[in-house]
Amino acid sequence: MGTFSGNPVPKPDGGLVPIPILPPPTIPSEEDIRLVMQSDLQRALKKPMGERQWGMSIDLQRCTGCQACTLACINENKLPPGVVYRPVLENDSGTFPNVTKQFLPRPCMQCANPPCVPVCPVGATYKRPDGIVEIDYDVCIGCRYCITACPYSARTFDWGEFYGDLVDGPPTPYEQVPSLEYGHVWLRKAGTSPINNTRKCQFCIERVQRGELPACVRTCFALATYFGDLNDPEALVNRVRQGRQVMQLKADMGTNPSVYYLL
Amino acid sequence: MKEITRRKFLVASTATVGALSFWELGHYALAASKSNVTDGSPQSAVLGKERVIYTADAFCASECGLQVTTYNGVISTIYGNPHVPYNAGTTCAKGVSGKQVVYSPYRLKYPMIRVGARGEGKFRRASWEEVSRYIATKLEAIKQQYGPETVIMDGGDMTDQPPYWRLFYYFGSPNCTQHGAICDTPRRLGPYIIEGGLRIEPDLMRPVLVRQPDGSLKNDYSYANKMIIYVGWNPFTATRINYESRGTVAAKQNGAKVVVVDPAFSNTAAQADWWLPIRPGTDADLFATMLRYILTNNNPQDPERQYLDPRFQDYSVGWPEFETAFRSWWTKSDPINNLPYFSLQWAQERTGLAAQDIATLAHEFGSKKPAALVWGMNGTGHHFNGEVVSTLGTVLNVITGNFDARGGAIDTALVRSNKGGNGGSKQIKSQMITRTVNGKTIKGLAWDLEMDNNGAWPAAFWGALGAYPKQMSEGVQINYGPFAGYHYPIKAFFVRGGNPANSASTEQRWAEVLSAKDGSGDYQIPLTVYVDNAYLETGLYADVILPEASFMERMGLSDIYPSEPVMYLREPVVPPQFEAKNQVEIMNILAKALHDAGDPDIQGADFWDRYHSEEDFWNEALLEAPGRTNVGEPLPYPRYPVGYKLLGTPESLEKGQVSIDHTKKIVQGVPLTVAWLRDHHGVAVWPMAWERYKAPSGGIIATKSGKFEFHFGFLDAVNKYIANRPVPYMLNQVGWTRYPTTFFWYETVWNPYTNPAYTQYRTQYPFQLISGRIHQSMSATQYVDWLGRISEEHLWMPLNDAKTFHPVVTTGQGGEKIAGIHHLRQGAWSIAVIQMNPVDGQRLGLRTGDLVRLVNPLKQETKGKVFLSELIRPGVLRVPPGSGGRLTPGMGQTYEYRSITPSSNRLLDPNLSSPITGMSTFNDMVVKVIKI
Repeated sequence: MGTFSGNPVPKPDGGLVPIPILPPPTIPSEEDIRLVMQSDLQRALKKPMGERQWGMSIDLQRCTGCQACTLACINENKLPPGVVYRPVLENDSGTFPNVTKQFLPRPCMQCANPPCVPVCPVGATYKRPDGIVEIDYDVCIGCRYCITACPYSARTFDWGEFYGDLVDGPPTPYEQVPSLEYGHVWLRKAGTSPINNTRKCQFCIERVQRGELPACVRTCFALATYFGDLNDPEALVNRVRQGRQVMQLKADMGTNPSVYYLL
Repeated sequence: MKEITRRKFLVASTATVGALSFWELGHYALAASKSNVTDGSPQSAVLGKERVIYTADAFCASECGLQVTTYNGVISTIYGNPHVPYNAGTTCAKGVSGKQVVYSPYRLKYPMIRVGARGEGKFRRASWEEVSRYIATKLEAIKQQYGPETVIMDGGDMTDQPPYWRLFYYFGSPNCTQHGAICDTPRRLGPYIIEGGLRIEPDLMRPVLVRQPDGSLKNDYSYANKMIIYVGWNPFTATRINYESRGTVAAKQNGAKVVVVDPAFSNTAAQADWWLPIRPGTDADLFATMLRYILTNNNPQDPERQYLDPRFQDYSVGWPEFETAFRSWWTKSDPINNLPYFSLQWAQERTGLAAQDIATLAHEFGSKKPAALVWGMNGTGHHFNGEVVSTLGTVLNVITGNFDARGGAIDTALVRSNKGGNGGSKQIKSQMITRTVNGKTIKGLAWDLEMDNNGAWPAAFWGALGAYPKQMSEGVQINYGPFAGYHYPIKAFFVRGGNPANSASTEQRWAEVLSAKDGSGDYQIPLTVYVDNAYLETGLYADVILPEASFMERMGLSDIYPSEPVMYLREPVVPPQFEAKNQVEIMNILAKALHDAGDPDIQGADFWDRYHSEEDFWNEALLEAPGRTNVGEPLPYPRYPVGYKLLGTPESLEKGQVSIDHTKKIVQGVPLTVAWLRDHHGVAVWPMAWERYKAPSGGIIATKSGKFEFHFGFLDAVNKYIANRPVPYMLNQVGWTRYPTTFFWYETVWNPYTNPAYTQYRTQYPFQLISGRIHQSMSATQYVDWLGRISEEHLWMPLNDAKTFHPVVTTGQGGEKIAGIHHLRQGAWSIAVIQMNPVDGQRLGLRTGDLVRLVNPLKQETKGKVFLSELIRPGVLRVPPGSGGRLTPGMGQTYEYRSITPSSNRLLDPNLSSPITGMSTFNDMVVKVIKI
């Protein structure tokens, strides 16, 4: 009986999560894009950390506004009520019947020049060699300067709410499952990090380092989000930008985001 | 977190200066205290406690394959199973939210027995032993006094109801139904009568497993589609067919033209090439006009106008009859506009679309091949005349050669895997019974007492759940078959995983019949049982509540919408919470109790001695998988004879581990089992093919003739069955005495623009009220916190007022507990709203957030807040179905807003159901708007 037991998650031990084996594609170039991206990851992870730059390409022609990414991210990162890392913004314009509607998934841009970093008074947030803008929850004092500084509203504050609070109960069972942000074990408890810290998307770097795709990319219902090493011209995340109109959000601010939108 | 507070820091903030100089100097990167970030894996201790389980969703009937991770036995993450091609590793927002179903504080935890009046929602906790004895005693008394047929079993909105059906079919009731009987039956009629299927969808599932010329099997990721037309169908938001999200945008990028026909600019419309904002309830007008245009302008000599693919006639019967009947309307003029039927000008007047646009749409559909014309449950399944729409839509797909073409239109019901027959229908269809009818003793099958097909709905091939309140209050009059003349009351209602009291037709009617009393003060229906993990409105009317295992806690099989046979396992991920039990356990417990109460029809050999675990039950179901024939291009198994039925694991069929029965035309491989699925990432996939109806013997078409029937053999047979007997009452409504056997036409109801009977309401009730299905905020969804918060399509929006309230949860003490005080901030919770065009809002002096009453000509009303939006046709109001006016505390925070959220189901006409299928007319109503 396999009931409830399942299979153990492969232990990392420096190794990577195996890529699922599917039947071969009829045309090699048309393989399952998640498998392609996973092998891109494996290639990137073999390089020294400073030689890879994690980035995303989000195809706005494909996004269907389903918000699965928003919730998969909440699920993966064990986010409390009110904390959202990757909302999907919506905008409609025009008057009936000449109307349009755009969806804009908004992760952290992992800027090359992140305005959130220099305003941190204690150096709790910094740019990693692999391009991720990290928050060290153990150092963060919760001043929220960075929240104001981020031009993308990508940072939110963890006020210490629990889903159990909604019914005056203890934290729900799933709130007793730790998150593994930045490769550390974080179990939210009153008075300890990451409660009273600023929080934001980190491209699920803990998953990425195991060879798994970020939660949003993994779940994307319309296969609209690509992820990989921006330094690798062969990586799908870069190839999909070829021949497309590409936009970075608020490019004029000089932040140089690692997130590209395909129009 | 460092032990320094923000206040302390602000007092002595030298560090701020430092940070500013960093900014000015441009040292953005690596400002950190931790420059020693490495690739280490410090979380390995945690990973050791994690488990991965492949399972299948059942939070909706789409049932995606899932890959769930647990940590210390608690659900941690939920992703799509990449090995299931149906969803190919993706999941929607709802699928991701499953753990908030399992661990919901509002879920039903213990068996309970009602202590208040029905509808009050007062219960006490009871044991499984007590409730099963209670149910069995009552059921046996009902069976003795009134007969087993007086019990209705509604298996609800999931495909794993067979254990319940088995129990009640063996008990002797033919009246087992499920959600399909209220979902969208008019949408399915056309496919059913023409080709024997149910749902036509575009060929968009990728990957599909395809046999290659070299004999190997490979995954095909390519899209051949040239045109996709979604009519009243919004797959991106009303997600049911998973692959239509990723497939539509991918096919479009590959050059397919995507058109959305919908009064609202839906999310699907947002990514379409063309949006046609049609007037509600005129889809049939559009389709009929497209068909007339195609028949008129088809020219085999002109490559631009080769609309028809004449080869369809080789595989069909009755086309000349259909075409003649259709053309006969062209010379008649419509009393409402004096224009000839189905002409472009006529359609412009009725649909509100430009005649030229309709001509372009017809031309492009006819000439851009492969194409798919797809109609949905909202737009067509929920209109009185949806039966006309689905019939014309099927015709259009077939005559243009798009049916089962690569890149064309696939009827998924004809190609999915089979999952067996242990639901007990063989039993009920073979059991002989006697009844006294008009003083005479009559013998017949128990099945001949089935309430719909022998009662008011002889052609409702999927049942007529929306019409149940009528039968519940008046009793079932058997008009046809051996027991014609027999009348029986409804005495028990057993509902599982469904919420008819909120969403299966006029909700007041359900409340009325479920709480109606007889002359002596007893309930007219002496037993109501509600089985679910969610505490929904129907539960308020239950005598007994049974807590069912959620879909993460029970086993089942999923197979429903793929375009090739795929079967995947719902594997229990965690043990049932509290005292919940799975369906097989509940079946066995109730079976044992009925047996102990003296029921001779319930024996251990058919239940508890036969199925020791749920795995036993589903293994038996798997014996019939995939159950499809070896047909199509490319042939799935060239090594086996064409047209033979395939049974067994993909592995055994591939390796030739089979026995072939040439008499029965069966290729029998090694039977598929739960254990096999478990060893193969939870899924079995058999090869795809196209043109699967063209096999000389044993194609996929499931009509009696095995061909496309434009002379409807099914309805012909029903007419013979009802000959010389009373005319079903709804046929009179459309002026028929018999079911139509070829092209038919009738107007929808409550539409002042197309039906002369309703033009009088145009001025006083100027709005057409329709519903817009949102997958993630449906009848049984909003108690999930994440789904309650996210907004959608100007229908489910964060317009909540700030509110302080006492949440209600069920507890071990039974009944309910007021759980403290909770404060909800304004704008923190999405609620059902009324979408209205700003032009209409301005005229009525309304702004977004204003509370209004919607009143219909039947003097029924509902309240809600207006949301002004350019994304809706003026004159049309749209609300999410089943999302407002929620009366059960089981809905969590949504319950707190019940008095300011609209319920369109209060306003629909209780006396009308689609004439052939018996479907409620959810989307046909007019209202006026009164500001509060």
